[in-house]
Amino acid sequence: MRSFIVVVLGIGLTIPCAIQARPVSYPDGWTVMVMNDGARNTAHIHYSPSARVSLGYKFEYWQDQDFYINAVQVNNLIQRWNRPESQANFYLKSGLGIATSRAGATDGESDVAGFVGLALDWEDRRYFVSYENRYTEARGIDDFFRQSARLGWAPYEGDYGDLHTWLMIQVEHTPEAEHNITVTPLVRLFKDVHLLEAGINDRGEILFNYIFRY
Amino acid sequence: MKRTLFAFAFVLTLSIPAFAAHPGGTAYADVNGLVCDFCARALEKVFGRQEAVESIHVDLDEKVITIHFNEGQKLDDETIIQLIADSGYNVREIRHDESS
Repeated sequence: MRSFIVVVLGIGLTIPCAIQARPVSYPDGWTVMVMNDGARNTAHIHYSPSARVSLGYKFEYWQDQDFYINAVQVNNLIQRWNRPESQANFYLKSGLGIATSRAGATDGESDVAGFVGLALDWEDRRYFVSYENRYTEARGIDDFFRQSARLGWAPYEGDYGDLHTWLMIQVEHTPEAEHNITVTPLVRLFKDVHLLEAGINDRGEILFNYIFRY
Repeated sequence: MKRTLFAFAFVLTLSIPAFAAHPGGTAYADVNGLVCDFCARALEKVFGRQEAVESIHVDLDEKVITIHFNEGQKLDDETIIQLIADSGYNVREIRHDESS
């Protein structure tokens, strides 16, 4: 299993920029992402040298497992499908860094960590569908698989610069977790270069995400 | 006669700023994949770096970008298509308006 992960991580980190796709951001664009929910707190800042790849720093704190990761993350847009009224994307996301445990037998220990996952999305101006998965390995501390899907609906269509509102439902599956299915209704507000999401899951835990692109 | 002259002067006054506003002409590109503000922002950034571009307007409803050029400068269709591709999108059609 580890060999497979190393190979996939290697591909993810070295995949050439010549893949036909759009940027994760736009050329020379920077993005800041802060994500918080009942399982994790993350901060991610990335730079897109082209329309096809982004490189960045990612911090993650996993609450139940009580460890954090500092990593370099590479996102590759493998394929984009542009249509007159819609857009779909297929990404490979991977990261390599250091995990540090804050609890249990490994308290205070640090070791190599890596993660790799795929993400697919489709949207037009009224509907949104996405699926994402990720395998995370923090050597000697923890390893787990996580996948999630979202459905979204915009009650109205705004033009560029207007406030866009989306109502979404997110379902997450973490096979190893005690509560392995989490359902989170959320609201996404999107204006210009700011995107904010807020929701509350079926266990009463708050989701709060913010993305800023410049 | 006075009324006619006044009307002529009024129409002329209105038309001068309209003509002077975009002396380099305007191009319209129908673009696939324009679904959100981040898409619009990408096109604004990429075209905004071009010396020939005076301003750009993105219409998400119509999926059209309007590119106004500086006087004496222009981007050819091939360059416009490439810049839109660099932004992550593709073009259905480009139209030019030399009189704007």
